[in-house]
Amino acid sequence: MTATNAAALPVADSVERPTRGWATPLWVGALLIILAFLVIYPLAMLFFGALSDSNPVVDGFGAFRPSIARFLEVLGNENVHLAFFNALLACGGGTALAVLIGLFFSWIVVRTDTPGRRFIAGASMVPLFVPPLVAGVAWSILGSPKTGLLNIALKWLGIDFRFDFYSMSGLILVFGIYYAPYVYMFTSSALRNMDPSLEEASEVAGASAFTTLFTVTFPLIAPAILAGMLLSFVVMLGIYGVPAALGAPANINVLTTYIFKLTAWSPPLYNTAAAVAILLMVVTAIMVWAQQKVLSGKSFATVAGKAFRPRSLNLGSWRWFTFALALVYLFIVVVLPTIALVIAAFRKFLFFKDFDAVFDTKAYSLVHFNAVFDNPLTMLSIWNTLKVGVITALVGGALAFAIGYTVNRTHVPGRKLIDLLATVPVAIPGLVVGVAYLWAWIGLPGGLYGTIWILALAFVARFMPDTVKALSTSFLQIHRELEEAAWICGRGLLGTIGTIVLPLARPGVVASMTLLFVLAIRELGSSLFLYTSDTTVMAVLLLDYYEGGNTGKTAAFSLVQTVILAVLLGLTNWLSRGSAQGSARVG
Amino acid sequence: MSAALSIENLGKRFGVGRPAVDGVSFDVPAGEIVVLLGPSGCGKTTTLRCVAGLEHPTGGRISIGGRVVSEPERGLLVSPRERDIGMVFQSYAVWPHMTVRQNVAYPLKHRRKSRGGDINAKVNETLELVGLADYADRPVVSLSGGQMQRVALARSLVYRPQLLLLDEPLSNLDAKLRLRLRDELRRILKQTGMTGLYVTHDQAEAVVLGDRIGVMRDGHLLQMAPPGEIYNRPADAFVANFTGASNVLRGKVLARSGETATIDLGGVGRIEAWTPQPLSAGDQARIALRAENVRLGERAERNVFSARVLERRYQGTQTVYDLELGGQRLEALELGTAARHDPNAEIPLTLPPEMCWAYRDEGQSLD
Ligand SMILES: Nc1ncnc2c1ncn2[C@@H]1O[C@H](COP(=O)(O)OP(=O)(O)OP(=O)(O)O)[C@@H](O)[C@H]1O
Ligand SMILES: [Mg+2]
Repeated sequence: MTATNAAALPVADSVERPTRGWATPLWVGALLIILAFLVIYPLAMLFFGALSDSNPVVDGFGAFRPSIARFLEVLGNENVHLAFFNALLACGGGTALAVLIGLFFSWIVVRTDTPGRRFIAGASMVPLFVPPLVAGVAWSILGSPKTGLLNIALKWLGIDFRFDFYSMSGLILVFGIYYAPYVYMFTSSALRNMDPSLEEASEVAGASAFTTLFTVTFPLIAPAILAGMLLSFVVMLGIYGVPAALGAPANINVLTTYIFKLTAWSPPLYNTAAAVAILLMVVTAIMVWAQQKVLSGKSFATVAGKAFRPRSLNLGSWRWFTFALALVYLFIVVVLPTIALVIAAFRKFLFFKDFDAVFDTKAYSLVHFNAVFDNPLTMLSIWNTLKVGVITALVGGALAFAIGYTVNRTHVPGRKLIDLLATVPVAIPGLVVGVAYLWAWIGLPGGLYGTIWILALAFVARFMPDTVKALSTSFLQIHRELEEAAWICGRGLLGTIGTIVLPLARPGVVASMTLLFVLAIRELGSSLFLYTSDTTVMAVLLLDYYEGGNTGKTAAFSLVQTVILAVLLGLTNWLSRGSAQGSARVG
Repeated sequence: MSAALSIENLGKRFGVGRPAVDGVSFDVPAGEIVVLLGPSGCGKTTTLRCVAGLEHPTGGRISIGGRVVSEPERGLLVSPRERDIGMVFQSYAVWPHMTVRQNVAYPLKHRRKSRGGDINAKVNETLELVGLADYADRPVVSLSGGQMQRVALARSLVYRPQLLLLDEPLSNLDAKLRLRLRDELRRILKQTGMTGLYVTHDQAEAVVLGDRIGVMRDGHLLQMAPPGEIYNRPADAFVANFTGASNVLRGKVLARSGETATIDLGGVGRIEAWTPQPLSAGDQARIALRAENVRLGERAERNVFSARVLERRYQGTQTVYDLELGGQRLEALELGTAARHDPNAEIPLTLPPEMCWAYRDEGQSLD
C-alpha cells in the first residue's frame, strides 16, 4: 500500500530516440486506453452511481438523473454516521496500539542488547502475512464471550474475568497487534539511521534514559512515526475480514462492512453503497496524501550515506524482561491463534465441559476437513484462486513493465499522465475497487461480470501502484549506457528491450510478479462484490463458512488456506530468488 | 568545579581480537587540558568514551575528582549522567528539533542535581562566551557547521561540569574555520578553568590546545608530555615518526654514556645522538631526525658530514633536498625563497646531536 513516486525518480537525459512517426502516439494511446479501462471507467461509474438512483449501463442514460442531493442524503444518514464513527474509533484505537507496539519493538531491536533481537525482528513481521479474515476467525474462536477458548481457560483457572472480542475493544486490540509491523517498518529504519551521539549527548548532559527517549529520540523520528501511523490507519480502514469476523456478531459496523451489507440487502442498495464507498475513498485519499507529504518532507534524524556504529543500550538483567515481552507478543499474534485454529479444526465439537477436555484425544478427528473437502466449492475455490493469481501476476506484471519502462526510460509525451493514472489506485481501498468494478460491469451482457477475469483485472488495477513502484526501482539499477550500446549497435527499440532491458530487469520483473501473485491470492475486499458461484475464491469461501456459523469447518478451511498460502509464498520466494541469482551473472 | 581525572591501567576489549585500549594510565590535574593524539583506530575515542561512561571498560580504574566512576574488577560503573561531565562530539550532535537556546538549556532542565539559579541567565552567559548571543532563538538547523559546534560547546559548558571531553570537535569544519575555532577553544577552556580531555589526530591542534599531549598507538599510550618535550624528546621511534621526524638513519651502537650514544653509520663515520633508551654497544640503532633540523652547509663541532644532493624540490618559501649520506637517504629542508644548493653538488652538513634521536632498531614498522 505504499505509493509509487515514479514521477519523482530521476530520469537521465538520453540520446534522442529514433522514433517512427506513428509508433509513439500509438503506444502512448494504447497505454492510456488500457489505464482508462482499468481505472477511470470503473471510478467514473462509481461516481455516477453515487449521484443517482440508477445504473446508467443497466437502465440506459435516459434514466440517469444525477443529483448531488442523493449523495448528500446518503451522507446524512445516521447509520452511515455510525459506521463512519466506528471506523474512526476502531482504526484510531488500533493505530494507537500499533504505534505503541511498533515503537517498542523497534527500540528493542535497534537500540538494546535484548537477546534474540534478529529473531524477534523477523518474527514480528509474520502478522503481515496473515490474511485478516483468518486472524479474525482465530480471535473469534479465542475470544467469543461464551465459547471462547480464553474464557474457558479463565473459568478453569477460577478467574472471574471474561474476554469479549465481539466488541469495539476486541476490534481495536486485534487491529493494533496485527498492524503494528507497518509502524515498526518505518520507525526501526529511522532509528537505525539516526546518529546515536544525539542520544548520547542527552545522557551525558544528565538526562535519564526515559527523558532521553521522550525528549530526543521520539521527537527526532516523529516523521517516521507519523508515516507509519497514517499507513496503518489507511490499511485498517480498508480491511474487511477483521470487522466482519469480530464486529458483525456484536452488530458493530465499520465503513467496509456497512458497504458490503448494503449490497447484500434485497434489493441491493448499490447506489447507496457507491456513495459510502466514495466517502471511504476520500478519507483514504486524504491519509495517503498526508503520508506522502510527511515522507517527502525533510527528516531531521536521517543523514544519508553515513554509517553509524550501532548503539546498543546495556539493559543489564532488564534485557530478559524485554525479551519476555517480545515473546509474549509473538505468542499472542502467532502461537495462540494457531493453537485456536488447530483445536477448533480438529475437534468434533467446540464445546468444553472443563479445561481438561481440551486434552481429550477422543474428541479430535478429521470430520471438518472431510466436510470441507466434500464440498465441491472448496476445490473450485482453490483452483479459481490459483487461476486468478496467475492471470493477475502475468497481466499485471506485463502492464507494469510497459508502464514502468515508458515512464522511467522514455521521454514520450503523455508519460506523466500515464504515471498519474497508474498511481491513482493507491488511494482506493480494495473494497471500493470491488464496488467500482461491480458498477462498471454488472450490466454489460456477455461482459466480464461472472468470469475469473473481472477479479483478475480488479486486482491488476488495485495493486498497480505497488507493482510499478517495485519495477521502477529495478529499472533505475540498469545503466542507461547498456541500453544505448544496443541502440548504437543498430538494434531497434523492441530488440533493445528484448535483448538488454528484459534480461537485466528480470529479477525485478519476477519479484513484482511474485508480489502480485501473493497479494492476489489473499485479497478479500475486492473479491466480495465480483465473485459468482462459479468463480468463488478461497477468501470468499472462508467468509461463507464463517457466516454459515460452523466454527469447525471455518477453522479447518482457515488452516487449509494458511498452509496453501505458506507453501505458495515459499515456492514463489524460492523461484524469484533463483531468478535473481541466475541474472546476477548477467549484470 | 573542575576536578582531576585519573586513569589507571584502563583496558577495553570488543569481543575478539586485540584490545582497543590496553593498559593506559595517566592523570589530568584540575584545570589542565590533555590531548590524546594518534593515528586512526589507535583507541583515542574508545578511551574518551570509557571516561564518559558511554563505553564500558573491561579493566582498570577511572576516577573523576577523587571519585571512582569505573572499576570493572569490583563491578563498579557510574552511568554517564551521574559523572558530571560535558562532552562535545565530532558530529556536533546538536538536537535539530530545538532552537539554540533550547539546546543549551536542556542540561540545566534535565540534570538531577541542577544547581538552581536562573536558567536563562546561565544560558545567555554561556552563549556570550561562545559568541552566539545573537543566535539564541534561531533553530539549530539554520546554523553553519562552526556555529553548530559552538552550540555543542555551550551545551556542555553551561552546567560547568567537572570535566570536559572533546572528540575531534573540529574535524568536520573547513580548514580556515578550524584554525580560528582552535584558538578560541583554548581561550574558552582556559577562561572557564575547565579540566579537558581532547582527542584528535591533528598534530597542530594538539600542540596549540594541549598543556600535555599523549601519543597513542594500537591501544597503548606511548608518551605523555608537554608539547615541547613530545617534539624535542620523543620517547619512542613511533612518536618521533608520527610527529614528523621522518628521516631514519641506521647504524650500530659503539658506546653510550648517559643519554648520549655514539653510533657508527658505516662508511661516513660516527654520529652522536640523544637516546631515551638504555642502548648498549653492538645494538642496531635507528636515528630519527626532522628534515627541518638538518643544517645544510654548516660545519659545527660535532656530527659534521658531507652529502650529495640527489634532487631538489623548490616550493617557493622553502626547498626540500633529497640527499645521499653514505648510502643512506636523508631529506633536508631549507627555509627561504632562494635555493642555495644545486643537484649533484657535494655539500657539508651538520646533524645537531640533541636533534638526533637514537632508538633500538627491532625492525618494527612505524606506520
Ligand atoms: N563498538 C565497537 N565494536 C567493535 N570494535 C570497536 C568498537 N569501537 C571501536 N572499535 C575498535 O577499536 C579500535 C579503536 O577505535 P577508536 O574508535 O577508539 O579509534 P580512534 O583512535 O578514535 O580512531 P579515529 O581517529 O579513526 O577516530 C578500532 O580498531 C575499532 O575498530
Ligand atoms: Mg575517533
